[in-house]
Amino acid sequence: MSDELLAEEFEEAPPPGGPPQPQQHFASRFRGLTGAVAPLVTVVIAFLAGGLVVLVTGKNPVKVYHAVFNGTGLNWFFHIGSYHARIPFSTHKMWFPWNTASIAAGNLQQTLLLTTAIILCGLAVAFPFRCGMFNIGGQGQYLVGTYVAVWLGSSFVNLDPFVHVLLCVVAGSLLGAVWAGIAGLLKATVGAHEVISTIMLNWTAVWVGEYLFGQGGPLQGSNKSVPISNDIAAGAKLPVFWGLALLQGLSIGIFIALAVLVVYWLIINRTTLGFEVRAVGFNPEAARYGGISVARNYFLAMAIAGSFAGLAGALDITGWEYNLGQNDIPVNQIGFIGLAAALLGRNTAIGVGLSGLLFGALINGTSGRQLDPSIFRPDLAGNLTTIIQGLVILFVGLNLGAIWASIRRRRRRAT
Amino acid sequence: MADAPLLELRDISKRFPGVLANDHVDFDLRHGEVHALLGENGAGKSTLMNILYGLYTPDEGQILLNGTEIDLGSTKAAIEHGIGMVHQHFMLIPVMTVAENIVLATEPRRAGVLLDYDAARRRVRELSERYGLAVDPDARIDRITVGQQQRVEILKALYRGADVLILDEPTAVLTPQEAKELFEILRSLKSQGKSIVFISHKLNEVIEIADRITVMRRGVVVETVPARGATEEGLARMMVGREVLLRVDKKPAEPAEPLLEVEDVVVVDDRGLEAVRGVSFQVRAGEIVGIAGVDANGQSELIDAIAGLRHVKSGRIRVAGRDLTNGSARTAIDTGIGHIPEDRHRRGLVLPFTLTENLALHAYRVPPNSRRGFLNPGAMLARARRLLQVFDVRGGTPTTPAYALSGGNQQKVVLAREIDGDPKMLIAAQPTRGLDVGAIEFVHRRLVEQRDAGRAVLLVSLELEEILSLSDRILVMYEGRIVGEFPPSATEEELGFAMTGGRRGGAEAA
Amino acid sequence: MTALAARLGGIRWTHPRTVGIAGIFLGAVAFWLTLPPLAARTSALPILVGLLAIAAGIWAWARDERRVGGGAVAAGLLGIAFGFLATQSSTAHLDSVVVWSALLAATLRYATPLTYAAIGGLFCERSGVINVALEGMLLTGAFFGIWGAIWAHSWAGGAAWAVGLLIAALAGMAMAAIHAIWAIHLKVDQIISGTALNFLALGITGYIFIDKYGDTGTPGNVADYGIPDVHIGFLKSWYFVGPIIGQLNLMIWLSIVLLVATYVFVFRTPYGLRLRSVGEHPRAADTVGISVYRVRYAAVIGSGAIAAMGGAYISLGFVHSFSENLTAGTGFIGLAALIFGKWRPFPTWGATLLFGFSSALADRLPNAYGNQWGTLFQALPYVLTIIAVAGVIGRSIGPAAAGRPYEKQ
Repeated sequence: MSDELLAEEFEEAPPPGGPPQPQQHFASRFRGLTGAVAPLVTVVIAFLAGGLVVLVTGKNPVKVYHAVFNGTGLNWFFHIGSYHARIPFSTHKMWFPWNTASIAAGNLQQTLLLTTAIILCGLAVAFPFRCGMFNIGGQGQYLVGTYVAVWLGSSFVNLDPFVHVLLCVVAGSLLGAVWAGIAGLLKATVGAHEVISTIMLNWTAVWVGEYLFGQGGPLQGSNKSVPISNDIAAGAKLPVFWGLALLQGLSIGIFIALAVLVVYWLIINRTTLGFEVRAVGFNPEAARYGGISVARNYFLAMAIAGSFAGLAGALDITGWEYNLGQNDIPVNQIGFIGLAAALLGRNTAIGVGLSGLLFGALINGTSGRQLDPSIFRPDLAGNLTTIIQGLVILFVGLNLGAIWASIRRRRRRAT
Repeated sequence: MADAPLLELRDISKRFPGVLANDHVDFDLRHGEVHALLGENGAGKSTLMNILYGLYTPDEGQILLNGTEIDLGSTKAAIEHGIGMVHQHFMLIPVMTVAENIVLATEPRRAGVLLDYDAARRRVRELSERYGLAVDPDARIDRITVGQQQRVEILKALYRGADVLILDEPTAVLTPQEAKELFEILRSLKSQGKSIVFISHKLNEVIEIADRITVMRRGVVVETVPARGATEEGLARMMVGREVLLRVDKKPAEPAEPLLEVEDVVVVDDRGLEAVRGVSFQVRAGEIVGIAGVDANGQSELIDAIAGLRHVKSGRIRVAGRDLTNGSARTAIDTGIGHIPEDRHRRGLVLPFTLTENLALHAYRVPPNSRRGFLNPGAMLARARRLLQVFDVRGGTPTTPAYALSGGNQQKVVLAREIDGDPKMLIAAQPTRGLDVGAIEFVHRRLVEQRDAGRAVLLVSLELEEILSLSDRILVMYEGRIVGEFPPSATEEELGFAMTGGRRGGAEAA
Repeated sequence: MTALAARLGGIRWTHPRTVGIAGIFLGAVAFWLTLPPLAARTSALPILVGLLAIAAGIWAWARDERRVGGGAVAAGLLGIAFGFLATQSSTAHLDSVVVWSALLAATLRYATPLTYAAIGGLFCERSGVINVALEGMLLTGAFFGIWGAIWAHSWAGGAAWAVGLLIAALAGMAMAAIHAIWAIHLKVDQIISGTALNFLALGITGYIFIDKYGDTGTPGNVADYGIPDVHIGFLKSWYFVGPIIGQLNLMIWLSIVLLVATYVFVFRTPYGLRLRSVGEHPRAADTVGISVYRVRYAAVIGSGAIAAMGGAYISLGFVHSFSENLTAGTGFIGLAALIFGKWRPFPTWGATLLFGFSSALADRLPNAYGNQWGTLFQALPYVLTIIAVAGVIGRSIGPAAAGRPYEKQ
């Protein structure tokens, strides 16, 4: 985001009366510094403010945050001892410093399941951002990924598991790419603003889903009394390597998400596509004059982004949800959490990864399943999470480095 | 007859981070005079006038109006004291009408809350008649000519009761004909008691219209002289501080086969009007062809079309024998067109990119910089190091972002990139705009070098001096057509005449 | 009346624009013919009329009236499609779904919060600040409106709704103030700040709602002191429209006042001129002495108040209760209507009516056709907006300086 703000400054004509530049030096120096500092400060502020809200309504923020933390499973890392853990996909056991079957372990699995989706949805925002576009459509792209994954997952019963899973996952990514591609195409051809088109596509996806999975809808399961789809076939489920599938153990989806993080980094920094995307993101005119096709990059950036979000949807279905109900659709917010993660992570691979972990932990820790209602009502906690999310986005938008630089500049002018 | 000055700026100093824009400047304006403020880019004249108009506050010094000190903290204050400014980039709202733009912020009212459009129209017509500035109050700004827009700007200032008018480079956007009209208007305003400050860097105009001329250089006033008796050479020397070499030293050209062939090309601009109306010419290997003309006569659209950035409605463009009509920018680059664009910040460079990345803006796609879609940072870095050294780019290393460099060094980066692509043909559009003298000399030398190396160079510039100095052949564009071809021995007068549509000298193409 | 006649006389009936508008009209008629009370049963009729509409649209398009031309073609196609579907459906079904009085009343009820949101957005965006937080402002107004009214009921009795409205407006202004500071002074990307506010609104209203009313919900008697309907005796007896407009809610009438006032303000007063100048070319406005910051602050905070009042209408005037995320995307439809209406008050109102109608229809479709079709229909406003944004019906271009923070030198 700081890049965008800096680029904005340079589009103004240089100040009259002399060569420009020294103020830009400030900004560039601070850009390096604020690489990690600004997001950290943002998170601290957001949590403090959230704590304030809790305090104002008469509860103890410290107790609440402690309970939330235990629910995230992150406390698992702090209980080091000597245990025997089962090696995934076999029956052998080996020595391991952490207890892989504890309650905290179970909580951590939940957190990482969420992290999987949040990372991918975050990348779906980060990638177009580097191309100068704001993809708010991650939610819709995620949803269409779930729709097609459920459909394909439950329509075939006796496919080879590897093929079946691959089919669902690839189809989910593809449909997500198509959904985002609509917005990308509109931007590339007629210059339609992607914010508007993706917001509209989000809501369209929601209503289409409610239609598909509602009472009497085409994808409603064989039990016609509830608006829920059929379960996907056993062969379409992702292998769970930690915990039990029945208790929502952690599927290999997390590794896929981490792999995609690496892929993202590679594409952005080491490929010609990434070079073009970044050039277009910083200065579409100069990119055009350099021979780069701006329209093609707009479309590709959106399509690739959509594939990330669609992949998230497919991984969620094949990894732990296994079916989709009409009522799940409008309450799902994972696309927007991914948005917050991308902003907090400043659209970098490491940033999105860490923010994904943070938000995954936060959502899990405040969910109804983990939080002890006597300490804090889960539905209150859910809203608290939304508030923190909003605060993070609000504060992350501030380019703290540039503000610091402009304060110093103003002080200098006054002297 | 010397009157006491109407407006006086005493000992004005203004500092920006890293630069002293105004250094103890004294400037005064007499009642009813046209006082020109002359200087190169960066001399400090715009800063001084922005202080007078309240946009900046001076660090030191006073401003006196009729002998009393005034405080100009805002444009509102300046307007109240009768100071009006016509900016170089017009401050007009395109989708609103002339009348709306003029009365904005001081609108006549009906019933206290409603805008009285009829009164506004009436007042605009009154002013327009009184000062001889013909405009249609109901016309939308984005549908009138640039000359008319300027008149609206002047009316804006007069409507607010300006007695002092500051005009910032007013002729930069006008045709010579429109400039003559403007001078008539200024004389008329003068006779009605207005006082005018005329900022410019054009020597001949300044001598023609001004009563007194103040020359500034690097933030300091060099001298204030009466216009009568001033010469262009004398003023130029004051502006630059030494003998200005107006011509570049070069061998005679040895042109070979044509590398660029433009045949009957018609190009439509963003508004749907024909900007290029059937232009034909050639540029041969080993020659520099300069296209002279006032801004917005089709040169930009012509260049964009040649470089593959704009659609060609009809006609043919051939580069080294290959038909490139309506090819993409990439095809143009691959075929061997180097393009130094008009605006290096907006079109030439990706400012937040490092120098390495900017230098690789075309070359990133080919080995060794990339293979099968994967970049090779090591190769790109080595290439950058080489180019930065060969082109003597100062102020940064390969990993410095481009915005950290000065204008001259930025332009060197653009040149390096384009020339390193080994193009057959080089297009240079306003290559020295905004550069200091040293950088200008560098660019000129490089262009001649390229020409001597057997490339075809197409130069488009608004500065006649540059055209005359560099070109082996000169074409003049007017209203989308080539209206004359001249040798480099032509005079500025001949060229200027052709630029306004006159047809003396040389063959006419189309 | 004479002014109207002069206007009508002044219309050039063969002008492409008029033909295009007529085409849109024809497209709607094509559908309407197949509905009760006329209920034409031959599909030939809607097809014929629809083709006429398409012809008119193409004719207008060819003469450079792209927006209305495209609209007429779209209307013609939709008219044929829906008209055809209607002829294939039984009259009994049609009769149970298409009850015009209920449909039109519902249209107005759905359109009104959209109008408030869209008009709020109009002021904000016309000053050059993008507002995607309309949803959040709407929700804020909805919650704080009813909360304020419930609190005021103990001492204000039946007039508690007025207090509620006031508190809603204040809450909306507070929320908008954050957007204003972030966008104008801190120069944050306006879409980010707007998105953040949507989340904040959702979380804060949800949090306080559950904290105070979580177990019991809002009191059941809010209808007693909610925003009243306006009963106009002589109107009620008018044929056909009487039952609808004879007892419209106060906020609906106020929304019409708001529309007219907005038009006059923005296009006929000096303040409106300054507002627009700031949104189109802030530096030009600055150089004539207009305070860009002040105008933008006023516009953004004002938009918060207006949008919040629309939200208060939903909770205090329509459903008389509150639940988490009550507005569920209505604010975005309002934004869509604003874009559809090209940031002008009356075309925007037309868009809100269109979207309101589609919501009203979606409500009634399940009466005959099962739940799913009603659900699918709810997507229509969003799809229409995508088409509008895509420029098939003419590019929607907003104020030129929208989205770019102003840097005073």
